[in-house]
Amino acid sequence: MSRSRSILFFILVFLLQLAITNYLNLGPWITISLIPFLIVHIPLQRSPHAVMLSAFGLGLLLDWLSAGVLGLNAFAAVMAAAPRLPLYRLLVNGEREDAVWFPLLRETGLPKYFNYLLALTAVYLAAFILLDCVSVRPIGFILVKFVASTLASTLPGLLLAYAFQRRS
Amino acid sequence: MNSRSGLLSTISAILLFLALTSFSIVLVVKNGVVQRFRILGTARDVQAWVWTRTSNIDTYFHYRSENQRLAAENLQLKQQLARYQTAERVLDSVAVRVEPDFSYLSANIVKNTVDRQHNHLVIDRGSQDGVEPGLGVVTARGVVGIVGAVGEHYAYVISILGAGQTVSAKLAASGAFGPMTWPGTRPDRMLLQEIPVHIQAAPGDTVVTSGYSTLYPPDIPVGSVVSAKVSRGSSQELTVALFEDFNTLHTVYVVRNRHQAEIEALYEQVP
Repeated sequence: MSRSRSILFFILVFLLQLAITNYLNLGPWITISLIPFLIVHIPLQRSPHAVMLSAFGLGLLLDWLSAGVLGLNAFAAVMAAAPRLPLYRLLVNGEREDAVWFPLLRETGLPKYFNYLLALTAVYLAAFILLDCVSVRPIGFILVKFVASTLASTLPGLLLAYAFQRRS
Repeated sequence: MNSRSGLLSTISAILLFLALTSFSIVLVVKNGVVQRFRILGTARDVQAWVWTRTSNIDTYFHYRSENQRLAAENLQLKQQLARYQTAERVLDSVAVRVEPDFSYLSANIVKNTVDRQHNHLVIDRGSQDGVEPGLGVVTARGVVGIVGAVGEHYAYVISILGAGQTVSAKLAASGAFGPMTWPGTRPDRMLLQEIPVHIQAAPGDTVVTSGYSTLYPPDIPVGSVVSAKVSRGSSQELTVALFEDFNTLHTVYVVRNRHQAEIEALYEQVP
């Protein structure tokens, strides 16, 4: 897939996230976030500074356009962007990150891609839910929301990754 | 040389991480939604225009149930009016004139969330219509929230379905009152707290607004008791099923208390 088509896909996924946040009501127990999927698809060659700033910008834009609490998605996105490269080395490939634009499902294989996306999504949602709910909601609610939201966010991410590789 | 630049890069990345996360937390703590509504007025109007269009589509598909709801509300208001007209005739006969304490302004909802921990609404009334921050928002079947910020044509309402939001409510039968808060799990349930243990509360008992705040008129039916449990040994915590369905809410009323400024000035005088 060309760089311009990758960017178009990136924008479409962001618009999908915007539609989910604004119009899909799944109740207080589940939050679906595709921002970790977008963080996965920021090119691996980018410096940590650029990745964190991009993630922060994405989160802030989502907060603003969805009329949510400003800073909530921005905080979670930075928390997920910071350990992106160590997680990639740990879960996908310890050596070749300079050779790939960003990991594709067909290149990494489903288990590695799933683990990587799941880990980033878990970090993102842990930060998001804790900042949103800590000290005002019981721990049981926070845990159930975290598990349900992580699964509900990772599965659409995998479907999008599959669609992404079919078009590339 | 390389290791030195690598170290500097790592340190600057850590500093950037700390700066970005700290800045985000400050935004969250200061509840930036309200600030943003004030600062980015024009852009917000564009967003509100989009929300109005999508809300119109939604209203179109729910017009039948909305009509039924409004018809029921009309009937209830007519019954209330009849009672007030009777009371007015009595007051006229003794030459007493009473100004109503609360005035109402109807508004349509252009955006409404119920699935977050901090929910909100955007209504199509703003400063041009006399809406101000701090006014209450209600329906005939309950309390909706407080106006948090106002644009020229739109206002941002902080929903009672939010962490930290409380409504002063009471049991209609006994008059026992306490703060009612949202536990965050279902948009149709709230908790009425600090009800003394000697007060009998049975499932089905009606809960109404207490009128002890300047925001909401007294005796608006809010919901009915589902269950009760003793909390911390000294008081009861009642689970209340709300009458208003926040998922299908389309029309609300902004409430202005004629005495709000006077009452708040009194509070400020208290040392």
